[in-house]
Order: sequence, then C-alpha cells, then structure tokens
Amino acid sequence: MTENQHNGANGPSLKKIYQVDSTTLGIIWTDGKESRFNVKTLREKCPCANCIDEWSGEKRIKPGQIKDTIRPVNIRSVGRYAIQISWNDGHDTGLYSHDYLQSLG
Amino acid sequence: MSDQKIELQVIAALKTVKDPDLHKDIVSLGFVKNMKIDNGHVKFDVELTTPACPVKEQLRQECEGKVKAIEGVSRVEVNMTAEVRAAHHNQPVLTGVKNIIAVASGKGGVGKSTVSTNLAVALSQTGARVGLMDADIYGPSIPQMLGIPITPPKGSGNNKFFPHEKSGLKVVSAAFLTKEGQPLMLRGPMLGGIIQQFLQNVEWGELDYLVIDLPPGTGDVQLTLTQRAPISGAVVVTTPQKVALIDAEKGVRMFQNVKVPLLGIVENMSYFHCPDNDKKYYLFKHGGGQRLADQFKVPFLGEIPIVPEICEGGDDGRPVTLDHPDSSSAQAYRALAGRVAAQLSIVQARENAEQPETTFELAWKE
Repeated sequence: MTENQHNGANGPSLKKIYQVDSTTLGIIWTDGKESRFNVKTLREKCPCANCIDEWSGEKRIKPGQIKDTIRPVNIRSVGRYAIQISWNDGHDTGLYSHDYLQSLG
Repeated sequence: MSDQKIELQVIAALKTVKDPDLHKDIVSLGFVKNMKIDNGHVKFDVELTTPACPVKEQLRQECEGKVKAIEGVSRVEVNMTAEVRAAHHNQPVLTGVKNIIAVASGKGGVGKSTVSTNLAVALSQTGARVGLMDADIYGPSIPQMLGIPITPPKGSGNNKFFPHEKSGLKVVSAAFLTKEGQPLMLRGPMLGGIIQQFLQNVEWGELDYLVIDLPPGTGDVQLTLTQRAPISGAVVVTTPQKVALIDAEKGVRMFQNVKVPLLGIVENMSYFHCPDNDKKYYLFKHGGGQRLADQFKVPFLGEIPIVPEICEGGDDGRPVTLDHPDSSSAQAYRALAGRVAAQLSIVQARENAEQPETTFELAWKE
C-alpha cells in the first residue's frame, strides 16, 4: 500500500447535516467545508426521473411551478452516498448524491 | 533496574514499532495490553485489528527484538491476539456483523463465487467468525461450491431463519429458497424483496466478517445492497483479458459513485501453475489487474492462479483452501484474506478520523 492510494474515494462525504432556519439546509463535509442550500432551489433542482427527463436531460419543472411555501418534511440518508428528501408537496423520489449537492453548492 | 523503570523503557521501545498499514505505532493505536513485568520477565499482549493480519509474525519479532535489547530484561513473552473492530455504522440491519465485504465483478464468468467462497474460508481459517451471503439471485452457486445440500432454511420464529452451516461458515443463498435445479425467475421488485430478507431476517449471530457474493454487473441487486446495507468495503474481481477489465472498470466506478470504499482489485485466473514443471503460464496476458488498480489508485490485492484442484474443488463442494491448503492457489487466497482484512482496518482508521454521518433522519421544523 503506497501513500497515494485512497480506496477509490471520490470526493468528500457528508459529516453533519442540520437545519439552519426554516428555508435553509446546512451540510458540513468531511473536508471541513460547509454548504448552505435554499430549500426551494433544492426542490427545483430535484435530480429524479420525474423532474429531469432521463433521455434528453430536459427539465420538467416549469419556472414558478414550485411555491415559496415548499419545505422538506423529512430528510434521510441513502447508503453512504446520497440523501432523500420528502417534500410537503408530496414529492419524494429525488436522491441527491453528495457529489450532486457539492456541484450545486 | 527496577521493574517500573523497565516498563517505561519497554513502552518507549514499543512506540517505535509501527503498524505498516495504519502508519502509527502500536502503543498509540492501543494494541499493547496486559503488560506484566516480574523481575525482568516481560509479558504483554499485542491485540491486532484482525486475526488475518499479514504482518503478524513480523510485528511479533520486532516487538520481541526491541524489548529484549533493553537492559535488565531477562525474558520476553509476546502474545499476539486480535479483536476485529466494528465498522462505523448505525443502520438497523446486520447489527451483529462487524464488517461487510461485497465481492463484485463487472462481467460474469471471472470466478467471483469461487473467490468469495475461498476468501470466506481463508478468513475463517485465521480464527475469525465468517458468514457468506450468496446474493447472486439468478445463478446461486455457493451451496454447490461448499457441498451444502439444497434444503429450506430452519425458521426461528418472527419470520426469521438460520443460515446453513458448513466448514465453519454460515451461509445463506437464494438456492435454498427454490427446488433444486429450478430457475428463479423474478422481476426487479421481487429481487429487492429477497435481498431485504437476507439483510433483515437472517439470524447471523455475531460475525467478524460477512462476505457478500454479488451477481455480476451493475444492476438492481447491487444498488439495493449499497443503499440498504452498511457495506464496509468492496472487492472487485477481474481476469487479465481486456474484455473483463473494461467491465471491472465499470464495477469500480459503480462503487465510487455510491461511495463504498474499494478494498481493492483481485485478478483471478492470472496464470496456470503447471504441477509438472512448477512453471507459471500467463494464459490471458499479464498485469491487467495491477494496471486497473494503479489507474484508480486502489490497492491490488493479488493474482490467483489456475490449478486443476480449483475446478475439482468447486464442482465437488470442497473449496481449494480447505482441501488443498498447500496449493499455490490456497496460498494466494490466504494472502488475499490478509490484504482484505488489512484494507478494512485502514478504511476504518480513516473513517474514525473523518467521522462521516452515514445514517440519519432529519425532521424539518417550521
């Protein structure tokens, strides 16, 4: 084992996740950096197949479609690599991978 | 010199003994235990993180040599022990299992089930408690390889069941849920259901290592397992040919995407070890597995040779590690087990330092 091997790790993982205020989600990553997300933006950028066409990559959420009252109900971990958010509009199919979240942050 | 003074010097000497994988001295790692000194007679335990430690003997000799050199020490007794440490997770499944090793391949036919079986046997031969989950739902072959007759598993109440036991291994397989020779024909949701049963309803008891033999490829079963099971690390099996390596690369990328640590790449069927002239014949080119490991900066875990005993053993239900422990292939499997266990300890040490939050549920407050 040489020093430059890293067991395939592909970027930092989630170290701490918390609610900052009623519309902001905070995440601290294992590299010490912190990201903050506006929940409405997160809902608009949902990566699931219902929200982004799997073949064309076209966004199916129209501007203005997501209301300002959108809030998460519950956020849970999926494996070691993603989070799943259940929203108060009933949507819950989006898996936000750590890498995707970092690309948004 | 008084025994107390000797003790200080012994500890100072042991602080210069480093674990080559964890890059720290064995005193700081908390490996040195039960130190007793009586009139210059020094006795202590070195508790490693795995009984499969590949450098166990080397560490013992270094400890003995360095302590013997201290003035006033008349005799040294080093007792090598091991306590497998549990990987950091708090998912509500497989709670008695300390480490979960997924064995995968991008392509079928590379000998993944043979590798899983012999890896599990080699780990258990070091004294570890080992389970083997045959998650290859469509082509379960582990019962055949271990010579376990196809009988339904014994229930334990609460919808739970006991694994079969053979040669010191605890085994579950989809084969036990079907009639012998009948194929399992399932669509996606049913597959997930069987995997969920394997994760939640098996009475594994306490295990140091659970080896999961995944189906080939990067499909439903792999995704379900990486999402629902706290996998400690993955081993990707390949053969040396380019077609196999291309698919192995996909397997590596899959684990990267779902952030399962890669314990490394093992190359199966690397060469034919001829019993007549003891020569190695590289039938399918040489060095492909090593190159793939280098490319992704993951450990190369070794080359497993082809010997006739491997095939016979698999067909007759007698794994080569049990039946021909002196063969070159059994030796390669023991080395593999040591490297896999060492990589698990390395991954764990890193996670203890980084402390990622892997399992959580956050209720949003207005």
